[in-house]
Amino acid sequence: MASSLRLRRPARPQRMISVISMIDVMMILLFFFMVTSSYLNLDMVPAVQSTADAPPEATSATAPPAQTLLIRISATGQPVMAGRSLTPAALDQLLKDHLAQDPLTSVIVLPSGGARLQALVGLMDQITNAGIVRVKVVRLEAAP
Amino acid sequence: MKLRRPDRGTAQESVVALIDVVFFLLIFFMLVGRLDATAPFAVMPPRGTTGTDLPAGGVTVSVAPDGALALDGAPLSRTALEAGITKRLAAAPDLLVRLNADRDTDLGRILPLIARLEALGTRDVVIIVTPQVP
Repeated sequence: MASSLRLRRPARPQRMISVISMIDVMMILLFFFMVTSSYLNLDMVPAVQSTADAPPEATSATAPPAQTLLIRISATGQPVMAGRSLTPAALDQLLKDHLAQDPLTSVIVLPSGGARLQALVGLMDQITNAGIVRVKVVRLEAAP
Repeated sequence: MKLRRPDRGTAQESVVALIDVVFFLLIFFMLVGRLDATAPFAVMPPRGTTGTDLPAGGVTVSVAPDGALALDGAPLSRTALEAGITKRLAAAPDLLVRLNADRDTDLGRILPLIARLEALGTRDVVIIVTPQVP
């Protein structure tokens, strides 16, 4: 009578992979991103635009020339038009009146060198919110 | 007769939950934060209601209220800044310049700088603003 001998291989104990080093790496990455990142929400306003992105100019020869308003910004940040200081409400009304007369109204902003950047951005916001899309900022340059 | 108390094995605390938490925090900070070069001086951008999303890429020119300048976080003189921009424009003509100027900076410093950037050949200059709910 033949008997078969079976040898059972003992089960190898499973090796535990150490995760301590992985935790170390993740903690270092976490601190890196926490410390180096900035969390300020930022937007942008175009100051110089390539011609492909700029709003189209009125080019039709037969169309009447679009109305242009010149708004100065005084050194104190106050918008001035035709020698008259304007409150935000008065400026808003004036822009809307001009836009109702001519939808292609454009605005040229001439800021004083002593005015703050916030005054210019605030005025550009107000002009854009009124519905005017053609806005240019100019500056006076000393003659050479 | 001595009875020996059997050694209690030290309880293995599971680190799986810790890994999960750290991993979620890592993903959160990676998604929420921006890895921009910060200015070497304090800059508070102007508040704006009509700003659009700030595109990625390009270089950041920082301007302090006293006129100090920095290019991608490195303080520079005006001449060195112009040289740096010119060098980068030669490598990438469509370079986007992000102007990170303090809201209290005089326009007498900002506008000539923008005009100079345009004269150097920059086709896209944007002013960084902080969004403000109208």
